[in-house]
Amino acid sequence: MFWQVTFSLLEGFGMTLTIFALTLLFAIPLGLVIAFGSMSRLGIVVHRFAGGAGEAPHSIAIRPISSLCKFIVWVIRGTPLMLQLIVIYYGPGLLGFSLLPRFTAVLVAFVINYACYFSEIFRGGIESIPHGQYEAGQVLGMTRTQTFFHVVLLQVIKRIVPPMGNEIITLVKDTSLARVIAVYELIWNAQAYIKMHGLLWPLLYTAVFYLLFSGLLSLLFGYIERKLDYFKA
Amino acid sequence: MSILEVKDLYKNFGKTQVLRGISFSMQQGEVLSVIGSSGSGKTTLLRCLTSLERADGGSITVGGKVVFDPAAGVNLSKEEARANQLQFGMVFQQFNLFPQYSVLDNVTLASRLHAKERADYRENKKEILAQIEEHAKELLDRVGLLQKAENYPCQLSGGQQQRVAIARALAMKPAILCFDEPTSALDPELTGEVLSVIRSLAAQKTTMIIVTHEMGFARDVSDTVLFMEEGRVAVKGAPDYVFGEGATPRMRSFIGAVTNYG
Repeated sequence: MFWQVTFSLLEGFGMTLTIFALTLLFAIPLGLVIAFGSMSRLGIVVHRFAGGAGEAPHSIAIRPISSLCKFIVWVIRGTPLMLQLIVIYYGPGLLGFSLLPRFTAVLVAFVINYACYFSEIFRGGIESIPHGQYEAGQVLGMTRTQTFFHVVLLQVIKRIVPPMGNEIITLVKDTSLARVIAVYELIWNAQAYIKMHGLLWPLLYTAVFYLLFSGLLSLLFGYIERKLDYFKA
Repeated sequence: MSILEVKDLYKNFGKTQVLRGISFSMQQGEVLSVIGSSGSGKTTLLRCLTSLERADGGSITVGGKVVFDPAAGVNLSKEEARANQLQFGMVFQQFNLFPQYSVLDNVTLASRLHAKERADYRENKKEILAQIEEHAKELLDRVGLLQKAENYPCQLSGGQQQRVAIARALAMKPAILCFDEPTSALDPELTGEVLSVIRSLAAQKTTMIIVTHEMGFARDVSDTVLFMEEGRVAVKGAPDYVFGEGATPRMRSFIGAVTNYG
């Protein structure tokens, strides 16, 4: 029985890892896009001059790209991932469209959700780099792109490794939400033993899989942090 | 012909007038110190010259070429602006070294990136990079830090970091080297080593503009001293004149405060 359970859980764990890996693969670049969108200064500045004497003039900036990105981040971070899964899977049906395949719906929900969290980490990392680094690049005749890639980027990476590690380990466990739309991942397979055989221990056994994998990730992030320890930024 | 000519430079930040018509010129090989109290516009002047800020009016002429004069409709192309950028070197108060690169890489990075734009880069890559490295090592030797070439900025003292920053600025062979309070972030002991590097550059006739609060040093090393007051040039001339008969009452009290404090 033990081996049968182990094989079944391994199968579920394969799905867990697939959701995990594909989410990272797409959410990191999308997160960067959203981060740059939030920081975008594209738009117009409306100057409004106060009427009264002695009142300082003030201006209002209208930045549609930045506002849109911030709105999306607010909605996604402000609602449960489980709800987002349900909306993305059942939503199209309510509007008369055909449903996405279950696995695709899971990926779409996870990628959007994690991209929003990542984007805030990226934005914080990029904005935390002192302005003097960009100025030093400029006075040495580097272009903005050169300064970003050759001067700023590695400093940003160093700063975002700890929060990214946190978020990525959370993702390992969040994959278990996929079962709400019946995607057969680790927890789903373990729960099947309760229904079919009245066995609880396979469910508890799943913790071993999660712990081993998140332990491995912790080691990996620790290694990256040590690799970047040679400089202070 | 003057290497730099500034005429009637204006700059506002919102409603605050920071520069209110600055004019001066300097010759090749001249060392010009800019002194004055905080908020008098010294740093802003330097930042306008080095294109870190854009002035609101006036003109800047470098080596006979007008690089800034909005009233006359001067508008540099991207390439021209970049070429003009490289006429000025800049040493910052906070050093602004690149923390992830070794001392040597800090000095060579910009040159290596520029070299990639050369037509013969692919053919002569090895020689070009070797030349850049050799030049960087010469500069590090000049600031006395050749033995630290492989160290990272975080392993250096503030004084050493600032000397690397000077070598890094020199690597681009600027026509005019600007210093923005280069010793203000350093304790008195470390200040000395940075000042002696600047002194040796002056001896080699490097054209420099130095914004500083080190009065003794300014008097000593400069050909010309410019005292700024509320965004204007209050006094300008040879050090002995500016610190002596030329000093305004405001300047006397400023120098008194600075030197008494030290």
